[in-house]
Amino acid sequence: MKKTAIAVVIVAASAFLAEAQQVKLENQIKYRKAAYQLMNFNFSSLDAMATDKKPFNKDEAARNAEFVALLSTVPKGFFSEGTDKDTKAKPEIWTHRPDFDAKMEKMMGEAGKMPAVVRSGDMVAFKKQVADLGEACKACHEEYRAK
Amino acid sequence: MTAARDRFRVWDLPTRIFHWALAILVIFSFATGKIGGGWMDWHLKSGYAILALLLFRLGWGILGSQTARFTHFVRGPRAAIAFARATFGGNHPLTLGHNPMGGWMVVFMLALLVAQASSGLFADDEIATQGPLAVKVSNALVAKMTSFHYYNGWTIVAAVALHVIAVATYQWALKVDVLRPMVSGWKVVPPGLRPPEPERAAVWLAAAFLAIAAALVYALVVIYPRG
Repeated sequence: MKKTAIAVVIVAASAFLAEAQQVKLENQIKYRKAAYQLMNFNFSSLDAMATDKKPFNKDEAARNAEFVALLSTVPKGFFSEGTDKDTKAKPEIWTHRPDFDAKMEKMMGEAGKMPAVVRSGDMVAFKKQVADLGEACKACHEEYRAK
Repeated sequence: MTAARDRFRVWDLPTRIFHWALAILVIFSFATGKIGGGWMDWHLKSGYAILALLLFRLGWGILGSQTARFTHFVRGPRAAIAFARATFGGNHPLTLGHNPMGGWMVVFMLALLVAQASSGLFADDEIATQGPLAVKVSNALVAKMTSFHYYNGWTIVAAVALHVIAVATYQWALKVDVLRPMVSGWKVVPPGLRPPEPERAAVWLAAAFLAIAAALVYALVVIYPRG
């Protein structure tokens, strides 16, 4: 009887700890949206420079690139199953997890290259990197983002 | 040898250029919109060109050549049904220009494309691309326009598929040559059946319309958003 009680307490406690380590589902949506929105802002600035809509400014571009690279690592941890309320995330994410993760990592990879490309000052490489990251974003939106 | 009197100029040069330019740009827009990334810049430019072409076509549909005019080819549903019955009954009636069924398809496709090009002006893919007028309206409207732009794009794909199927049906099942006239402008008819030659408006008028259309689009997507 005593043993059972201890076991129940341990199970309950470990469940609580696991829960505490994980961010509340509602907040996962909140944090990933925040990351995407700021990526959108910074990447739009890079895209404007890459398509000659605004002049290339290395300091500004470097700052945008650092933000994009860092922010790109945020959403991946915030797509737990069940985070499908008040979001454009489609439930296919959880039924096609390996493909979704592959597309997410592709995007993170392209975003991660951005700061070095900006610092190099190579405009051809910069334009290509902006295009590649845009396509990586798009690939996931096409399949996993509600329209 | 075909005698001159056995053929007539069904489509004028401006209408043919409009048709093929539109066909190429619609395919290009679809592809660039799906790939995204560095192609989005071209997707927007292609959309502006399409918008200018559509404005030109509306003008040409009012004051252009006879077979391009809406009053010439937009007919009632009864005419369209009668035409469809005759055609599928193996007795395809010879018409001057768009037939009563095809006329509706023209109007339908033009409407879809006007809606597509216009909604794109307000769209935002939330990656790095915004239509030039998205900054002028609320985000709620931008979201609606973006969503519409996506779904309407697929409606256009369906309409284009239907158009191509219809052309193929005329061309190969009903043995009515519709492709060559859209390239050369000449429609060959059986001897003695030649309808009156359609009136043609001057090519310079078409050029003027296109210039006005391009200027209007430029004002809308470049000058207006700056203000």
